[in-house]
Order: sequence, then C-alpha cells, then structure tokens
Amino acid sequence: MAIQEKVDVAIVGAGPAGAIFADVLTRAGKKVVVLEYGPDWDDNQLISSEIWGRRIKHAPRFQLAGRNNPGHGSNAGWGTGGSMLHWFANFPRLMPNDFKVKSLYGKGLDWPISYEDLSPYFDRIADDIGVAGDAAAERRWHPVAKNYPMPPLKSFRHGDIFVDAFKKHDIPLAPMPTGINSTEYKGRPACIYDGWCHVGCPTGAHATPQWTHLKEARAKGTTLRPYSYVTRVLTNPAGDRVTGVEYYDAKKEQHVQPAGVVVIAAYSAETPRIMLNSVSDKHPNGVANRNKLVGKYLMCHSGANVWALFDEDVQNYMGTTATSWMSYEHYDKRHPKKGFGSAWYLFGAAMKLNVNIAGARPDLYGSALTDFMKRAARGLARVNVYGEVMPNAENRVELGSDKDEFGLPIARIIHAYDQDAIDLYNDSQDRALAIVKSANPREAWKGGGPVPGTIHLLGGTIMGTDASNSVTNSYGQTHEVGNLYLAGGGLFPTEGSVNPTNTLMAVSLRGAEHMAKNFSAIAS
Amino acid sequence: METVRRRAFMKGAAAGALAFTVGGTEVLMLPREARAQKVPLKVLSAEEAGRLEAVSEALVPGARDAGVAHFVDQQCSVPPHEALLGIRIANVRPPFVNFYRAALNEIDRQCQASHGKPFAQLTAAEQHAFIGTMRVGKHPDWKGPPAQQAIYGAFRTDGVDVVYGTVEGSEKLGVPYMAHILPPTRW
Repeated sequence: MAIQEKVDVAIVGAGPAGAIFADVLTRAGKKVVVLEYGPDWDDNQLISSEIWGRRIKHAPRFQLAGRNNPGHGSNAGWGTGGSMLHWFANFPRLMPNDFKVKSLYGKGLDWPISYEDLSPYFDRIADDIGVAGDAAAERRWHPVAKNYPMPPLKSFRHGDIFVDAFKKHDIPLAPMPTGINSTEYKGRPACIYDGWCHVGCPTGAHATPQWTHLKEARAKGTTLRPYSYVTRVLTNPAGDRVTGVEYYDAKKEQHVQPAGVVVIAAYSAETPRIMLNSVSDKHPNGVANRNKLVGKYLMCHSGANVWALFDEDVQNYMGTTATSWMSYEHYDKRHPKKGFGSAWYLFGAAMKLNVNIAGARPDLYGSALTDFMKRAARGLARVNVYGEVMPNAENRVELGSDKDEFGLPIARIIHAYDQDAIDLYNDSQDRALAIVKSANPREAWKGGGPVPGTIHLLGGTIMGTDASNSVTNSYGQTHEVGNLYLAGGGLFPTEGSVNPTNTLMAVSLRGAEHMAKNFSAIAS
Repeated sequence: METVRRRAFMKGAAAGALAFTVGGTEVLMLPREARAQKVPLKVLSAEEAGRLEAVSEALVPGARDAGVAHFVDQQCSVPPHEALLGIRIANVRPPFVNFYRAALNEIDRQCQASHGKPFAQLTAAEQHAFIGTMRVGKHPDWKGPPAQQAIYGAFRTDGVDVVYGTVEGSEKLGVPYMAHILPPTRW
C-alpha cells in the first residue's frame, strides 16, 4: 500500500460537483487532489457517434431491484466531467415551491434552504459556465434575478412546429436556458448545431467541466488522478474525523490519500456505496450513518414523451440535445387531474438515427422498421414531459451481495414508482398527445408503456436540518463528521421535475464557498 | 465558412479505433469489411455468429451484411469499460458475451421445442412471428435470464447500430451525419 502526501482536500469524482469544489478550494489556496474512477477524457477523444458515446458512460457494476429500476448506466458518467460530459445541457432551475414540498403540500420533504438562498448562486453559475436563454420570458413563472449572459440558441423546425399548438392550449413557452454557447463566451466558440452534445462535445461550445470549473481548477494547481477507484473513507480512532480515503489505481495497487477534508461527489449510487463500505467500530453502519439514512430517498424523474411524424423535413438532425423550448405552466404539483407532482414540458431537441429515431417505435422490427426509418429520418419530432417523483425511503441504495474485484460489496439500487408518479405520467402523456395533435402531424403516438421511463438519479444522501431527517446540512457537510462533505444530486431532498444540473451546481458552489470560508475550523 | 473550416479541422483529430486482427496484425476496418474478408472471430464461434446474424437480420434487415456478428464479437473481446454495446448502458453486467450466448441458446431451445429446428432454419414468416412473441415476453416456459424483452431490445439495438448508427447508414437515408470528430472506421 502506498501512502500519498497529505492534502488539504481530497475530492472523489471529477463531475460538475467535484469540479466546483476543486475550483473554489484551489482558488482559496488549498492543496486539492481529485480522484476519478474513469479516464481523463481529452476533447480529441470525443467522437461524434451514438455508439462511441457510450464510452463516456458508466459500465454496469450494480445489482438492481424493485419494480421500476432506473439503473445507473445511462445516467452516470465515467471519467472526467462525470455525467456532465454527456449531459443534454438543458439548464432550468428548481422552482420556489420545490424547496417546501412538505410544508406546502403535506407530502415529500422540505429542503433546509429556499430558492432565495440559492438565487445568487444560480446567477454566478450562469456567468461562470455561460448560459444561453431568455430570463425575461421565464419570469412569468419564477424570479430569475439576473439575465443570462447569452441570448437563446437558435431553434429549428422540429421544435418550432409545436409552438402554435402550445398556444392553442394556452401554454406559454420560453426558450430553454442551456449550458451551450449561442455566441462566443469566455474564449469558447458558439455552437454549430450538429446535435452531438450528449456524446461529448469537442468544440468547447458545450459547458462541460473540462471547459469550465475543472479546467480552471487544474490550471490553478488541482491534481487529478484518473483511474482511481475509491473504496472507503478512513476515520480516526475516535471516529469523529475523516483522515483520508483508500483507493486503487489502474494497476490495482492500493493507496491511501490522507486529507484534511474529504468531499465525496461520486453520483447518487456510488457515494452511498463508498460510505456504506466505510465501516469501523465507531461507524458500524458506514461512515456518517448512525441514523441509517445513507442511501435512502433515491429518486429519478419520470419521462413522458409523445412523438409526431410530419410530411415535411423538420430538420431533426440539426440543433442540440438541449431543447429549444420549455414551459413551467403545469408545474403546480396539484395540477394533474390524477396523481401528484410537477410536470415540465420541453421540446425541440436534435435526434440521431440509431437511438432517437429507431427508438421512437421500439415495437417495430423487420421490414416495418426499415419503412419507418425512411419515413421518420427527416419528419420525426417529439414533445417530452418530465415528471416529479416524491422521495420515498424505500427507494434506496444499499450494499449488494456481489463483491467488486477488491472484495468489497457493490451497490444495490432499489426503486419503484408510487401511484402518484404513475398517474402524473399518464396525465402528462395525455396532455402532450392532445398538444401534439394540434400541430396536425400525419401520425402522433405516445412513447413508452404504462409505466414511465426513468431519467436522472437523485437523492440517496439528502440534506436537511439535522441528523433526525438527513445525512448532511445545507452545505453538504455530514452531520456526524465535520470534515466529511458530500456533493452532487444526492443531496436533493426533493427533485422537482426539471433537469438537475443547474441546481446541483448552485448547491455545490454554495457548499464549496462555505467550506473555503470556514476551512480552518472544518479541517482542524 | 468559419463553421466549415472548424468542422474540417476536427475531422483530422479522430482518435481510437475499432480494431480487427488480421494475420496477427490489428487492422482498422468496418465490421462489414471484416465479415466480407472473413476476419477470424475473437470470442464467438462461427456457429454462434451465424445464429446471431440470423436473429439480427430478422430484427433489422441489413444487419448481417453490415457485420453485426463481427461488431458484437469484437466488442465482447475488449474490456467492459471500453465496450460500445448498447447493453453497456442497459445495466447488463459483464462479461457481455454471456448475455449473447444465453440469449442464443434460449432462442434456439424455444425454436426446437416449437418447430423442431433452430431459429436460423425457420422460414421468414416463422422468424417474424417468433420475434413478435418474444418482443412482448409471451413465449411460455422461457428460461432466463436474459428475459425475452431484454433480448429483443439488445439484439435490435445492435442491429440498428450497425445499419443506421454509422456515416454510411445516415447517407443511405439522406441524412447529414455532421460529425465534429468522425468515428474511426466510420463507427
């Protein structure tokens, strides 16, 4: 076993949350090491292909259980950039009511912070990474304090074709705020609308950590160690301080990285896995898990989609994976006729043949598939509705019965939708189909089956007011061990129904700056 | 013009490869070319490859000639974190070849039980009907895993990948591929 030189901060995971902590702490003069399980991707390796793009996602290493399991492979990233390397770059934020679900509706949980607490961080993140959008158009729904630094992205016919249909249904729209450059920004070029965002964009128009916080952190001295598989967090004999982490390198050699503070930002399934495996006599349930809440309240978003086939060329091969348009108009959690939770419309994303278009009719095969591909190649368009799922402690990550190559248990992900979520999904499908039909396509149909698909992975190490209801405080600092922080979407007590990255980054910036400001007290 | 120049520049930056071994040397080529040149398989047997081609072709016409068996074989031969197979992100745990072998064996076991011959020897109509039942998980006495629908989805994805997920596939449908960085060997 090799003992590395002690650092001020050891960060597990080089995704957006870990990158922000690295950037902020390095700027504050701290010695920072980031341990990343996957490779250190170079922009020249990001090949424009749905097939090659699978490399930047996590190879399966989980046990799955429960009726509706989101799995891990399509959500999590692998390597520098984490899940943000393959993100669609939709950049909405949670709404004020998302932070007070329990108080307002008597369901779910409350966050220990409000929208107003995060508002300045939303603005700063937008300036940091570059966001294109129209804040004025969004203010009908929520208070966006500052305008976005860039105008919205260009829209294409596959999105614009539905605009009048939404108007007919009295649903106002706004351009999607996106983490993609509509103009040159901070030396990064404007998007060229080739639609390959989600397989890793090598141009720099797509705001991934490689081009933003991680790049800044490394330029200022952060050390990144790729192919570092973290197995455990180590604690002192009293169990009240973490002393570092244990990991294996690409040659399968074991290392210990001593650190004054440890930040685990390894996504919603792997962060609990590391914590639950960090067992000692003072932490028999895993580190910072006296209350047995580590792994609990795992959430995903439900995904409703409705497809439409038009006779005209809607240019569906052009654009971005971020959609052109969105609406919070039916976001009120009591809006659905049946079910409970927020619903959020988005449409106008680029499509590629072997995933989106072939996937639009998964029931077709043989000559029927061949015929459909010819008809849909230029005429297919889609409206999505993301749905909220309430936190449920039974949806969780726990240690599985299978072991990794080092003899430690892998994670077991357990998830099932409740009836509210399924009803909300079906309600959303019905509404979206009615809207789509108003655009007069040749054909329109609901995607998916009677139970929704799954998008994103959140919760599992939620924040709250104290140890009776949560794993961490609002900064991501664990209640039990003051120099152990968690970061990422795992902290979300509720999820709303929008893409989580903006809120995740705002929470991370707030947590990282709190740590930097109070570092002496936290690390000593 | 700026856009065109930038894209042209990036085409030259391609990295990585889909490598087939020919005469002890790794050669970059299309799976279609690998099949045509009878490049030796690495993991699957020739008999397994033939069975896989039969199912894939029935699912996605053109998959056989596009080299689906060589694609799956080559991808099963690399470390799981380098694999490009659809099952990688569908939560199938490696080694991936186990999935394909179990699937092919169960498909043929079912066909033997119902028709007295393997899938590859069924008529086109029989193959179509068999897949239709498999798609909805209605073959009785199915011995999984993998489940019927999982096999349908995975084999269909592989077939769609080799037929439509390529520059060549896009060109055939008249859709611009518009790569920032072109896939090596057009994958």
